[in-house]
Amino acid sequence: MPHKVVSLISVGRHPQSGRSRRAEQDSRAVELGLKLAGTDLDVVHAGNTEEPTLRQYAGMGLPSVTVLEQDEKADAVESLQSYLQSEKVDIVLTGVRAESGESSGMTPYLLAESLGWPMVSRVADIVEVKDGEAQVLLALPRGQRRQVTVKLPFIASIDNAAQAARQSAFGPGLRAKMEAQQGSESVDEIRLNWEEVPAKARPKRLKVVKAKTAADRFKAATAKPQGGSGKVMKNESVEEKAKAIFDLLVEEKVIR
Amino acid sequence: MVIDWLPSVLIVVLLALGVIGALRRVSLWRAGQPEKVNLIAGLLAMPGRYLKDLHHVVERDKYMSRTHVATGGGFVLSMVLVLVVHVFDVNEQIVAWALLGALLIMLTGAFFVFKRRLNPPARLSKGPWMRLPKTLMIYALTFIVLTLPAAGILPEGAGGVVLTAVLSVGVVIGLGELLFGMGWGGPMKHAFAGALHLAFHRRPERFGGGRSTGLKPVNLEGDVLGVAKPSDFKWNQLLGFDACVQCGKCQAMCPAFAAGQPLNPKKLIQDMVVGLAGGTDANYAGSPYPGKEVGNAKGGPDEIITAGLVSQETLWSCTTCRACVEECPMMIEHVDAIVDMRRFLTMEKGETPNKGSEVLENIIATDNPNGYAPSSRTNWAADQNLAVMKEKQEADVLFWVSDGAFDMRSQRILRAFVKLMKHANVDVAILGDEERDSGDVARRLGDDATFQSLAKRNLATLGQYKFKKIVTTDPHAYHCLRNEYGDFDTDGALAGVEVLHHTTFLNQLVQSGALKLDAFKGGKVTYHDPCYLGRYNGEYEAPRELLRSLGIEVAEMERSGFRSRCCGGGGGAPITDIPGERRIADMRMEDASETGAELVAVGCQQCTAMLEGVVEPRPEVKDISEILVDQLVEEVH
Amino acid sequence: MSDIIRRDPRAEWIMRNRLHPLHDQYVSQEEGGEVRGPSGLIRKFPHKVGFIGPNGIKRIDRLKGNSSAPQGRRSSAAQEVQLPLHTVANPDYYIMVAADMVGGRLTSHDKDILGLAHKLIAEEGGNGAVVAVCFGEVKEEHFDTAGADRVLHIEGEEFEGYAPEARMQALAQVESQYTVKHWLFPDSIHGGCDLASRLAARLGERPATQAWQVNAEQAVSRGASASLDITRKTPKILMLLEECADAIDETRHEATPLTLETFSVAAPTITDQGLMDVDPNAIPLGEAEFILSAGNGIHNWDQFHEAAKVLGATEGASRVAVDDGFMPRFRQVGATGTWVTARVYVAVGISGAIQHMQGIGQVDKVVAINTDAGCDMVKRAALSVIGDSEEILAELMKLVAEHKQTSLSDQAEENSNAA
Repeated sequence: MPHKVVSLISVGRHPQSGRSRRAEQDSRAVELGLKLAGTDLDVVHAGNTEEPTLRQYAGMGLPSVTVLEQDEKADAVESLQSYLQSEKVDIVLTGVRAESGESSGMTPYLLAESLGWPMVSRVADIVEVKDGEAQVLLALPRGQRRQVTVKLPFIASIDNAAQAARQSAFGPGLRAKMEAQQGSESVDEIRLNWEEVPAKARPKRLKVVKAKTAADRFKAATAKPQGGSGKVMKNESVEEKAKAIFDLLVEEKVIR
Repeated sequence: MVIDWLPSVLIVVLLALGVIGALRRVSLWRAGQPEKVNLIAGLLAMPGRYLKDLHHVVERDKYMSRTHVATGGGFVLSMVLVLVVHVFDVNEQIVAWALLGALLIMLTGAFFVFKRRLNPPARLSKGPWMRLPKTLMIYALTFIVLTLPAAGILPEGAGGVVLTAVLSVGVVIGLGELLFGMGWGGPMKHAFAGALHLAFHRRPERFGGGRSTGLKPVNLEGDVLGVAKPSDFKWNQLLGFDACVQCGKCQAMCPAFAAGQPLNPKKLIQDMVVGLAGGTDANYAGSPYPGKEVGNAKGGPDEIITAGLVSQETLWSCTTCRACVEECPMMIEHVDAIVDMRRFLTMEKGETPNKGSEVLENIIATDNPNGYAPSSRTNWAADQNLAVMKEKQEADVLFWVSDGAFDMRSQRILRAFVKLMKHANVDVAILGDEERDSGDVARRLGDDATFQSLAKRNLATLGQYKFKKIVTTDPHAYHCLRNEYGDFDTDGALAGVEVLHHTTFLNQLVQSGALKLDAFKGGKVTYHDPCYLGRYNGEYEAPRELLRSLGIEVAEMERSGFRSRCCGGGGGAPITDIPGERRIADMRMEDASETGAELVAVGCQQCTAMLEGVVEPRPEVKDISEILVDQLVEEVH
Repeated sequence: MSDIIRRDPRAEWIMRNRLHPLHDQYVSQEEGGEVRGPSGLIRKFPHKVGFIGPNGIKRIDRLKGNSSAPQGRRSSAAQEVQLPLHTVANPDYYIMVAADMVGGRLTSHDKDILGLAHKLIAEEGGNGAVVAVCFGEVKEEHFDTAGADRVLHIEGEEFEGYAPEARMQALAQVESQYTVKHWLFPDSIHGGCDLASRLAARLGERPATQAWQVNAEQAVSRGASASLDITRKTPKILMLLEECADAIDETRHEATPLTLETFSVAAPTITDQGLMDVDPNAIPLGEAEFILSAGNGIHNWDQFHEAAKVLGATEGASRVAVDDGFMPRFRQVGATGTWVTARVYVAVGISGAIQHMQGIGQVDKVVAINTDAGCDMVKRAALSVIGDSEEILAELMKLVAEHKQTSLSDQAEENSNAA
């Protein structure tokens, strides 16, 4: 029996230009969904049907996109929850964090909590779905992986380590159907009280020097940042040269 | 005489069969998409196009041009006269003598074709093409003998039944090749299709010394974007494929073919012929795509081309250098066809290989191929004190910086050029962060939607300001601005604006005395013609003149000017990165090294990057503006 | 040695009296040592600073040994003892810090958050205590100096390994058992963010994620892929970015253990199958933290691959090495290849074309092995070794192999902790 897979998509934001685009993780969620369910994949967006970014997702080969029409300020979780409850869904795929809005990454957790489903975060791949269980690979830092078994139905948030999304083709994207449904109308009241401004650059923590003397403080404040020209070893023996590299690697903890 | 009438009947029958075949061929072309062509004007212009433009290309090989004039001219003339003499039985000796003369000319031509075919160069196709000179000679000889009585040299009915039978066989063989083969896909098809191709060419501007190199825009509302099946080509493109004579000049010039990448322009066009007629490439008797066997490709007018007829890598190997188009005596448009098919792969299938999809996505999201912040576009000019159009509104010259602005190597070229302009007191401004990628890469990668969007937005920006000239250091942007933006310039943003490459502009400055330069004292210098400056825009002279003004005697490479070999950097080839046996840039650098030059002068940032990517030791690579800036006469105040 | 500091009134008296016959002797005895005041704080003895110059005038050179007290000679254990102890008796409320505890130890991220917790208590007033909540095996010995007033170590088989569901339930139990003012989590990929989100969903609290400027009233957090600063009332649950506050470094804390009443944990729906073996070469180049990159100067490719394996490095390559077919295209580092983010980048036989240098712009430490001392890579590198790469790699492999022998047991331990 084929499994019903739903990928949730949102409007992304390009880190350099700030322009909207298909979100990195969401498009990976669609890619993984296509791998699991082919074009039977149901792709759902809560928001505006006219959003051009949806066409970029659809260009991955989706015949249609389900749009739960709602206002920008409305709560997406509510409409998604009622949608997922009404369909018989086995696997829901989302990104870890949206690239626009609050990007708290709470959506999958709230859905999982309200539906009573398990939630696996930072998924790199879903290896196999069989007998009401899925073998899931989780992405850990530095490319490490953990395998877990999850009972269906479940929600997974897709990490950047998952298979990159296929190219979006302009033609199919243009021709895909946007199937609109009525979404939630309740406004996210809490958010209205927030103050949102473009991010300030975060000061990087300086090396804290608990200086005992004025001279030390002066030195700490004016010390040149590390850099300039590095150490060059030319005439030392091979052993010494290798040792110097080795020491640096150990110091940097890349050799353990 | 019992079977005296036989040759005449055979002529008529074969002529009729030829006509039927020709009509069938026409119906194959008509499977293509409609394209408006002025049929009558085209037909009227055809002889002129043949005699001037086509012949001009063939003339590059004197042997072949003479041979072809003799054979082709002799045949056309003789065929007309054969009808007059042998079918309509006009009994004027003078006509028969004329026919004999025509046939003799043709025989001579055919003999030289035959001689060439004794030891043919590798680029030529074999198979039926090896047979052609022999059948041509049989035709000529047969009709010479057949015409002798009419000319009064032999008595009527001489030779009897045997001779008539032999001559009839000759008629069947000769006219079978020439008339029947013409209509039914034999080698002589080229004469019939070629003539019509010249008449109904998709780029009539190319005739009469003109140049038409801009790609045609895609109708984004169409059912299929780009070309999926042979029938998605315009009908006159299909006709153009049929005009191919398989002379292999394109193959000999193709940089991808020489690098062992799986592309051979001749084979590609032949595959298109297979596609439009249906069938397999088993009868193809020329060089294959490097690394691919012949005989496995099959297709039909309504079958997807990339599903069995042509592999995707073949299409992505092309650098769009136009060497094949420039070389083709039949003026076939290979690059148009390749980009048309790429458009389908990118815009319908989403299968741009390797870095292609990433680059396209970057262009869409950041207006530059590498995904840099659009707000950092002008960072390179922080210390250049350049006026920005947004503040200035009006300038003589708009300097189109192009995406070299993000690349540290190209920035050196930009700075050199800015310094030269300042020296010449040019009233110049840049668009700054308002500039966007010209769309060149997107378009060559088949993403015409993105190209059109960029073109329209760039034009909207350009339309806000007043300037007389656009100058750019990037031949690719130059080509787009000059030849391709016109299709979208509905508001006339570029009306009356002169678009110049920086070498042209600098040459004007030097010739007018605005720039004073010292003589160059370095070693031997050669010049590499960028495809998009030379073949695409015909600018061969300005860079050379600039170098001469420095006292440099350019040591020309064997392949220079319109035959310049590509650096491998065009058409998105470094992005799609199809593996071959060699790198195109390495081959080009070998060309340069062979001249003994210590410095390769270039007029393109992409060429600079590609040629500098060749492992040392190799000659130094410098943009012309960098060479000039070193020779500036510093005025003492 | 006893830790109790005892004064020696006689010695002090002699030290004060420069005319005392034993004065010089006592002063030289104290040289380098430290004088403690009545509260145990180090006192500076001004007369001992400096030296008498050639013309009899006292000179103080602040930069030569006289600056801060010589730190090397003090053992760290002794220093910790000196820090004043911060005690909280019968707290009215708690601030819970659910630490990542990577490898069983507090990370610097955890410590920053403990520091923030104290800052919040100071601003809010009242008698609050900071609790470090941790799961699994704990190897941390310095909860006290890191700022944990209480330590809640939740032990049990069900919380071992990867058990986010059970851990979340434990935290929910903590919430019901204690008066918790705030839950602070590191917003990290080590599980902090996941756990916090689960708890927030369970408790129905709206958390602040990627918070970086927090006080008792307001929290500023990042939104829209770090392009937005959202200011809001400080919520109950906070996921904090690194460097959100300064770690505790001047006080000592009780670190008294807390206990959690037993409760029943629902059967997990996610079962851990353990870590997968990942070949360093399978790590995407852009993610790898240690890259051994090959260029045109490599002649022994087998040895290069071997070296990458021994060093546990991800392989990279210059464009030329890729063009020549020695390495696949996806290994190419540079402007036209992959832009890498490694901490350590060892460039073997790469002279450093400008495009390549652009691609390694974000690398912390570059090590160059090259025959040409004048090449651009050497200029960029923190350490450059000029010589034959084959010999140097061979020697390096030898060193690493030896190192692995000695630290094999340690490493095994590390791995089990990382799990």
